[in-house]
Amino acid sequence: MSVNLGLAQVSGDFLVAAIVIYSLAVIGFAGDFAFGRPRRAKAAGAALASGGHAAQLATVGAGQGAAQGASGGGVSEAPGAAGAPGLADGAQAVPADAGSGGAGSSDAALPARQVPALRAIWEAGPWVRAAVAFSALGILAHLVAVVTRGFAVHRAPWGNMYEFVTALTCVAAIFFCYVMVRYRAWALGVFVMGAVVVALGLAETVIYTAAGPLVPALQSYWLSIHVTAMTLATGIFFVAAVLGVMYLVVERYRARVAAGKAQPGNGLLARIPSAAQLDKLTYRTVVFGFPIWTFGVIAGAIWADQAWGRYWGWDPVETWAFITWVLYACYLHARATAGWRGRRAHYIQLLGFASLTFNMLVVQVFITGMHSYAGVG
Amino acid sequence: MTDVHTPREQAAAQGEETVSFGTTETEPDATGGGAGTGPSAGWLRWGWRQLTSMRTALVLLFLLALGSVPGSVLPQQGSDPAAVQQYYASHPALAPWLNHLGLFNVFAAPWFAAVYLLLFTSLVGCVVPRTFKLAGSARTPPPRAPRNLGRLPHSASFPSSLAPGAAVDAAAAMLGGQRFRLRRPASGDSGHWVSAEKGYLREAGNLLFHLALLGVLVSIALGGLFGYKADKLLVEGQRFSDTMQALDEFHPGRLVSGSDLAPFSLTLDRFSASYLRSGDSRGQPSDFNATVTYSPSPGAPSRTYNIRINDPLPVDSTKIYLIGHGYAPVFKVTDSHGNVAYNEATPFIPANTGTFLSDGVVKAPDASLGFMGVFVPTAVSVGGTLESAFPADDFPAVSLIGYSGNLGMNSGVPQSVYQLNTAGMTKVAGSPHLMLPGQTWTLPGGRGAITFVGVRQWVSLAITYDPGQVPALVCGMLALGGLLLSFLVRRRRVFVRAVPAASGSGSVVTVGGLARTDASGGFEEEFAELAAELAAQQKPEPNNQSEAGA
Repeated sequence: MSVNLGLAQVSGDFLVAAIVIYSLAVIGFAGDFAFGRPRRAKAAGAALASGGHAAQLATVGAGQGAAQGASGGGVSEAPGAAGAPGLADGAQAVPADAGSGGAGSSDAALPARQVPALRAIWEAGPWVRAAVAFSALGILAHLVAVVTRGFAVHRAPWGNMYEFVTALTCVAAIFFCYVMVRYRAWALGVFVMGAVVVALGLAETVIYTAAGPLVPALQSYWLSIHVTAMTLATGIFFVAAVLGVMYLVVERYRARVAAGKAQPGNGLLARIPSAAQLDKLTYRTVVFGFPIWTFGVIAGAIWADQAWGRYWGWDPVETWAFITWVLYACYLHARATAGWRGRRAHYIQLLGFASLTFNMLVVQVFITGMHSYAGVG
Repeated sequence: MTDVHTPREQAAAQGEETVSFGTTETEPDATGGGAGTGPSAGWLRWGWRQLTSMRTALVLLFLLALGSVPGSVLPQQGSDPAAVQQYYASHPALAPWLNHLGLFNVFAAPWFAAVYLLLFTSLVGCVVPRTFKLAGSARTPPPRAPRNLGRLPHSASFPSSLAPGAAVDAAAAMLGGQRFRLRRPASGDSGHWVSAEKGYLREAGNLLFHLALLGVLVSIALGGLFGYKADKLLVEGQRFSDTMQALDEFHPGRLVSGSDLAPFSLTLDRFSASYLRSGDSRGQPSDFNATVTYSPSPGAPSRTYNIRINDPLPVDSTKIYLIGHGYAPVFKVTDSHGNVAYNEATPFIPANTGTFLSDGVVKAPDASLGFMGVFVPTAVSVGGTLESAFPADDFPAVSLIGYSGNLGMNSGVPQSVYQLNTAGMTKVAGSPHLMLPGQTWTLPGGRGAITFVGVRQWVSLAITYDPGQVPALVCGMLALGGLLLSFLVRRRRVFVRAVPAASGSGSVVTVGGLARTDASGGFEEEFAELAAELAAQQKPEPNNQSEAGA
C-alpha cells in the first residue's frame, strides 16, 4: 500500500482552507460581541414575551394557572436570577425559594429549545448568522481534509500527532457547534472556535508530518477503535476546558460585582452565559467525554494486551491516561462534595485537561516508552 | 395503600426536600458513640466516617494521581531495568534516596499500595451502606407531594375537565403506565395528589461502576498471583521447550512455579522484517513476521504460525508475543591447531534501533580467544568510522577487536554472554578488523582464526499467562456500563395535585417536577412533554363539560 500523494495534497489544501474559514467564523463571533445587540437584555425581553413551557401552558388555562406558570416555568435568563448563588445541578444547590416571583426557575437552567435551531440562528443577528455559516463551512472543509488524509494513507487518519490533532480539533468543532446551537450559546463561539484555530495553526506549523504508512505496532484495527475514542474524548474535553476557563473568568467577574469592586456593565462579560450556566454546560460536557475516555482506555488495554503481551504496564502514556482519568473522576466527585463545588471543581477539571495535554504533547513526544509513535522529530 | 413514613420523610415532603434532596455524601450526624460504647468505639466510628467521606475519597484520588507522576517521569524497574541502572550511574548521589522511597518501582511501592487500598476501603465503606439504602428505597414509596408544587424547579398548571379526584386518578394511571413508582394519599390525608418517582437504575449503575472497579483490582491481583511472564531470545533455526532452564527470564506470580509452564516447544523457522525504502520516513519498519513451528505439548502434532506484532501465537491459555528482533552473525573460531572451538550464531544487541548498529561478543574459551564486535547491517564509512545506513541487511559487515588469553570463565563467577572481561587478556594486533560475510581473519602469531560465516536474525519472544485478563476486561466493561447508567438515567420525581376549579366544574391541576441528578441534561424537556401530555389528556372539551364530573 503506497501513499496517495495527490490525495494527501488535497487533504493539506482543505485543512488550510478550514483554518481560513474558521478564522472568518471567529471574526463573525467577535463581530457579534462588538456590534451585536446586548443579548442579556434581549433574552430577558424574549423570556418575558414568550415565557417558558409553563407560561405557554398557562395561556391554555386561565386565572391562577397563569400566575403559577410565570413563576415556575422554563424562564432561563430572567434578570433577577443573575445573582442567585446556585452552582450545581438545578435542584441540588438552588433552593426553590431563593428567588422571589420570576426567579423561581434556577439561574443554572439552560435555555430550552423553544424555537427551532435554524430560526434561533436567524434571530441571533447577522454576525452570528455569518459566523455559524462559516463554522459549518469550515467543519465541512475540515472533514474533507480528515477523510482524504485517511484515503491517502489507507487507514484511520490518526496515526501520528499531526493527524491526531487534526482529527481531535474536528471533533471539538463539531461537538462545540452542536452545544452552541442546542443551548443557543453564541457568545462562546469566539472562544472555542478561536482555540480550534490556534490548535490547528500550531498543528500545521509545528508538528506537520507528511503522509506515510504506519509502523507495524500500529497496524491493527484497534487503531481505529482506541485512537478514535481518545480523539473523540480529547475533542470533547477540549471544549470542556474552554468552558471551564470561561467559567472561572465569569465567576470572578460575578464575585467582583457582588463585592462592589466592579460595575455590572454591558461589556464583554455581561454578554456571555452566566457562571451557573457555564458550570452546568462544563459538567455535561465532561459527563459526555468521561465514558468515552474510559472506553478508550479499556480499548487501549485490550490492544496493549494484543501487541505487547500485557493489558496494563504503566508505560508513561498509560500512566498519564490513568492520571487524566483519575483527575476527571475527581472533578465529577468534587461537584458532589460540599466545599469543592464551583471554582475548585473547575480547577480540577482544568488540571485534568492539562495532564491530557501534557500526555499528548510532552510524554508522547519526549519521554520514550512503548507509545512513541508521534512521528515528530 | 400503606402509609408508613418517618417524620423526617414527612418534613422532606413539605418542601425542605428540594434543598436536602440529592446529597450523596454521608450525612452529618451527631458526634460520639451512643450510650454504652466506650470512647475508643466512638473514635473508631469517627475514623471510619472520616475515611468513608467523599472528601477523603477525593483527597485519596488526588494522591493516586499525584503518586503516579514519578512512575512516568523516572525509569521503572518493572518496565525498563536498564534505564534504572543508567540512572544510578548518572545520579549516584540521588538514586539511592529515590530507591528508598520506592520511586523506581512506584506501582509496587508500599505507599502507593497504601493509597489505593485506603481508597478502595473508603469506596467499600461508601458503597456498601448505599447498596442497603438502594435496596431500602426500592421498597419505600416516594414522599408525599409538597403543598406548593409551584415552588419546585419545574412546574406547570392547567385546567382539567375532570373533578380533582378523577383528574389525579387519570394522571396516576398515565404516570404508572410510564413505569413511575406511585404514592397516593392515605385515608387520613386531605387533598388529591399523586407522587411519582422513577430512575432507580441510576444509583444501581453508580454502585455497579464502583463495585466493578473493585473487581478490576481483584483481577489485577489474580494476575499477580497466578500469572507469569517469561522472555526467550531465539535465533532462526533454533528450537526451545518452555521450561525454566530454557527461558532467559522468568517472572512468576506469587503462587506460580516452573511446573506450571505450558509444555509447548517451538522452532523459529524464519524472521523477516521489511522497511520503507523511500520517502521521508525511509528506514521505518513496515512489517515484522516470525514464522514458527510449534507443538502445544510433547508428542502433539506440530503446526506453523506467523507471529507478528498485534498477532500473538496462542498456545492453550498462554500467548507468545514478538517483542524484539536483531541480528546474529555466525562466527567460526579455530584454535592454533586448526580445531573448531566455536561455531555459532551470536546474537548482537542493537545499540541503535533505527539503523541496527549492534554490539556483541564472541567467546571461545577453548581457543583462549575472545572478540568484541560491532555489526552493521548496511555498512557505510562515515569519516573512517563504521556506521549503518539502513536497518535491513543489505551489506552486512562486522568490525572485531580480538583478545587472547584467559577469559576467566572457569573462575566460578557468572558472566554475561554479552560482556567480555578483558582483564587478563591481551589485544590482538590488527584490531579492529573489518570483515564481510565469508571472510576469515587469521590472527597473527598463529593464535588461530575467525570466520564471519554469515548473518541470521533473532527474535525476542514474550510468553505470558494472565488469568486475571478476562475478569479485568469483564469488570472494565461492567464499570463502563455502570458509568453510562449513572450518567444517562436520571432519578426524578413528579407530583400532581388537583383542586376544584373556581368556576365550579372541573379542576385546576398543578404538576411539579424535580430531578435529583441530571448529569446529561434533558429533564426540563422530559418534564415539559409530560406536563403537555397530562394537559392534553384532560383537556376541557366545551361540549362535554357536564360529563366531566361523573
